[in-house]
Amino acid sequence: MRRFPQSIGLLTISRGQRAGPSRARRCYSTSPSTNANPGRTPNGFGVLGLVAATAAVTAVVTASIMSKRTEPLPKPVVENGGPKQRVGPRYADEKTTLKALEEIKSSIKGISVSLDPDDLESHGYAEWSGSNIPERPFAVVMPTTTEEVSTIAKICTKYKVPMIPFGAGSSVEGHFSAPFTGLSIDLSKMNNVVSLNADDMDVVVQPGVNWVNLNDQIKESGLFLPLDPSPTAHIGGMVATNCSGTNAMRYGTMKDWVVNVTVVLADGSVIKTRRRPRKTSAGYNLTGLFVGSEGTLGIITEVTLKLAVIPSSYGVATTTFPSVKDAAAAASKLIRRGIPLAALELMDDVQMQVINKTGGAGGRMWAEKATLFIKFSGSTESAVKDNMEQAQEISKAYGGADFEVAKSQEEMDSLWAARKQALWAMLALREEGTEIWSTDVAVPLSRMAEIIDYSKENSSKLGLFSSVLGHVGDGNFHQAVMYDPRDAKQTASVKKCVDDMVDMALEMDGTVSGEHGIGIGKKHCLEKELGSDTIAIMRSLKQTLDPHCLLNPGKIFEN
Amino acid sequence: MASLRQKMPNPATLRSYRALQRVVAVPRVRCYATDIEPERPKPLRQGNEAKLGRSFQGQVQGSIGQRIQREREERDRYEHWREVTDPSRNWTLTIFVLGMVGISYWLGTFWHREEEKASTYRLATAKEIRHNTKLENMQAAWADFLKIVGKDHVSTLETDIDHHAASDWSSHKPKPEERPFCVVYPGSTEEVSEIMKICHKRKIPVVGYSGGTSLEGHFTHTRKGISIDFGRMNKVLALHKEDLDVVVQPAVRWELLNEDLGKDGLFFPPDPGPGAMIGGMIGTGCSGTNAYRYGTMREWVLSITAVLADGTVIKTRQRPRKSSAGYDLTKLLIGSEGTLGLVTEATLKLAVKPEHTSVAVASFPSIHHAATCVSKVVGKGIPVAAVEILDDNQMKCINEAGATSRHWTEAPTIFFKFAGTPNGVKEQVSQVQALAKEVGSKSFDFAKSHEEQDELWSARKEALWSTLAVKKEGDRVWTGDVAVPVSHLPDLIEETKEDMKKSGLFGTIVGHVGDGNFHSILLYNDAQRAKAEAVVHRMVKRAVELEGTVTGEHGVGLVKRDYLPHELGETTIDAMRLIKNAFDPQCLLNCDKVVRMQKPASGEVHEW
Repeated sequence: MRRFPQSIGLLTISRGQRAGPSRARRCYSTSPSTNANPGRTPNGFGVLGLVAATAAVTAVVTASIMSKRTEPLPKPVVENGGPKQRVGPRYADEKTTLKALEEIKSSIKGISVSLDPDDLESHGYAEWSGSNIPERPFAVVMPTTTEEVSTIAKICTKYKVPMIPFGAGSSVEGHFSAPFTGLSIDLSKMNNVVSLNADDMDVVVQPGVNWVNLNDQIKESGLFLPLDPSPTAHIGGMVATNCSGTNAMRYGTMKDWVVNVTVVLADGSVIKTRRRPRKTSAGYNLTGLFVGSEGTLGIITEVTLKLAVIPSSYGVATTTFPSVKDAAAAASKLIRRGIPLAALELMDDVQMQVINKTGGAGGRMWAEKATLFIKFSGSTESAVKDNMEQAQEISKAYGGADFEVAKSQEEMDSLWAARKQALWAMLALREEGTEIWSTDVAVPLSRMAEIIDYSKENSSKLGLFSSVLGHVGDGNFHQAVMYDPRDAKQTASVKKCVDDMVDMALEMDGTVSGEHGIGIGKKHCLEKELGSDTIAIMRSLKQTLDPHCLLNPGKIFEN
Repeated sequence: MASLRQKMPNPATLRSYRALQRVVAVPRVRCYATDIEPERPKPLRQGNEAKLGRSFQGQVQGSIGQRIQREREERDRYEHWREVTDPSRNWTLTIFVLGMVGISYWLGTFWHREEEKASTYRLATAKEIRHNTKLENMQAAWADFLKIVGKDHVSTLETDIDHHAASDWSSHKPKPEERPFCVVYPGSTEEVSEIMKICHKRKIPVVGYSGGTSLEGHFTHTRKGISIDFGRMNKVLALHKEDLDVVVQPAVRWELLNEDLGKDGLFFPPDPGPGAMIGGMIGTGCSGTNAYRYGTMREWVLSITAVLADGTVIKTRQRPRKSSAGYDLTKLLIGSEGTLGLVTEATLKLAVKPEHTSVAVASFPSIHHAATCVSKVVGKGIPVAAVEILDDNQMKCINEAGATSRHWTEAPTIFFKFAGTPNGVKEQVSQVQALAKEVGSKSFDFAKSHEEQDELWSARKEALWSTLAVKKEGDRVWTGDVAVPVSHLPDLIEETKEDMKKSGLFGTIVGHVGDGNFHSILLYNDAQRAKAEAVVHRMVKRAVELEGTVTGEHGVGLVKRDYLPHELGETTIDAMRLIKNAFDPQCLLNCDKVVRMQKPASGEVHEW
């Protein structure tokens, strides 16, 4: 040890205290304050304070370095292993949600907020949905502008409150259910047609617009939006589930008709994915990403839609077949020949029976056989006529009989009525307490006949009532099975039957959802369809755009 | 204090020391950290009187003694001074502070601060991109590539590298150092995945290459690195005739594919420039004359198998014609220009070849007349297969180049293609003819036979080549590409023509009027490059002001990335940047294209 007091003073601070005041020691203290106040006991607190301050500063600096440091380390793009490793998202509790709600109320004047149990019920449960859960949203808010939605998103992010966008609530896979409660953001008050650009054949609408109303409003311009999902559906939900319908064969699905979307992201930033050109190659196709994202990436607050010209002439035909398989085979041939059909729908014998049981449709009874409904459209009478002749020829080759053709508007409506009423007839026949399990798979066109045949056979073994109804024009069909959810055995066997069908569809290179989306009910199927790597990249997309997992959590895949 | 006194025996020093204490009154001691060293009183100098009476020897000894004493004193003082200022006395403090720093640093690592979580990724906060393209690293990687694809399929030949670094038709001029180190030719998805794994590990940037027909610098090697040429992956893997789809590898040329499919009465509608391959077509989200009726590439791809930046292989779908299952990754990858993943396989939708087709050509007194005719045809819902417009300059070029067998009226001309049943086509032609007449067409020709049809359509096909044919020695060509809502198209074309005329450059206009998209083909030499740039810039700006897009079908590449924020807004680009960062955090895949991932140097971005 050195003899010099400087070092002794530093090393033996405690000893210094014991020894009492010592000038020499004080002299070498580095803290000038001790010199100014000679009476104070020199105890090295100054040094300690300095060290503590250094330590504190260092800690802060270090932490900031560390937090920066953890970020850019090269990490695998796809994180395998999935949800098990991750800690589940933590959301606001009731008190915090209430606080958030108060803040929303105070920052948006005149916003309607509802805590009414009936409202919560209607925003968390649907009779027609096959995937209802016991949880309900905490409250329903009804914003009226994009800015309001953005404010809500900001506040929800601040308090970590889940946000569940809600349109018409016509989805069937539990898209709007609230497994982590949170706020249901009902966009039905945003129901204006912002502008119709007839010359450019597009229309700018808010998400709460009903598509039937829209088509009524713009009828005079000679244009229409060719998608036809459930008649109650709103544009917002249609975009979010990438819907389609009977017209999809000719016109394609929703993703082909969206020019741009204005979206509020989780943190409240507002983006517009495009301007209004009908085609573009500029940058990533965010439009395509948000269409079909089921409200998990952003809340859609405005949409520009392409419109089609209402065909000047069209016709409807129906034809019956001895079996579903024949009908499906004929359908596939019709498509393969390139006849420009507007729609091609299949209903099986059971479904036709249902129609008759509920009193028929279009003022008549129907042959209880597998039936194809064909819609033709064209710019000229002769084109439609040509197409009809070709269709009749083909269907005959597959055993088609009773080729009925409608030319006048009334006849057409009456022929198409049977197809239109299918779902309602089914619901009407439903017994008290039973539920309908509706599936929605799509396969490549050539496998259509095979899978319909397979699933009919499989479901007939159940001894339950089941019918098939298909948009065969694009390889998509729905099978509806009526079952009693209280009967555990029955439920299990229906579930197995449906799972088998889904597996079969996947084996045929198909998809688990043609138009209804994944929601909460088909999450396990999606993993089967796409594999864990593809889901992982979807998950990382979700995580980047919505890091706190606040937007419609628990949908499409586990977060 | 005691030790200090022992150490300081010199009475003079002590005296002065005490004197100092007396003066200051308070026991004042110097603080070495803050005070200046006090001046020491010098020892009294011996006068000559003291020396008197001493022998010479005595004097000498006295002098020596004094000197020795003085030196000893000095040495002591020096010793003392050195001790006091010795840094080692602060070692304890130093070690203690450093220790604390270490401990607090270590503790700091436990303090988890949440990362900033936003739904956008702003350029201002963008982190630095670190690649490793040092020669040693590249050579080591080269050896790895050899193991994967074999010696014959890795090339470092100058000619190959030149070919993959730049093209004559691109509007981007790469810097001389922007070249790949080598070109790798993988033969399968697995090989691509292995290559990407190595590049991921070694941080080597990668650019995918198929046809090389892109125009906006899509395959420029801004970060050097390597080029992956899919040339060997050029097979049609499976054709499902009944399902109307086909599974292909990325280097299949669309013309050859259509030749194959034609035998089965099928075809693949997107028709970009000749030479383009499926991989690049997906990359840019291309289209062509058929887009009006059939839509763009985005509508015709069912599924994509892609290799991501870390070598993971994903398949976005199986083969259903429609699906609502999960996010539409297919759509996201189409048009991503190789920045999110490398396409190694694609399932394409096919269309049935129309039974009967025909072509009609109508010329009009002005662009506005022509556009009115088109909007009438479209508004009536006549299902024409294609509507193309060529301006008077373009028609003049075709005549001058003698590209076709007939002579054309040198006026704005519209080319219609019809498809359907023979009766249907006939009706469509007569409907269009009536509408054209109504608007005031100068001429209307339609094909009565298949040969005539080819002949009429050949003028449209030869447009680009006939413009090239009239160019002077040393001229380059700049193909511009914008799209606007259809009703704004005639104004934009007129204004652009006017602007081209004013600039003194020769240029023609070819447009896919059906979907509001048109191209300006400008000829310029090196001296006129700035002028040409300005003309294109103004055209793009006008298009954006008319609610259009900066590129209809050619893509963004390097040239148009700074236009994007003006078209879409900063936040939208920030969201795109976030997506790019999620897919490719090291920015290995075609870095710098589509969206900037790094702040540009000052002056790099031109004024809007």
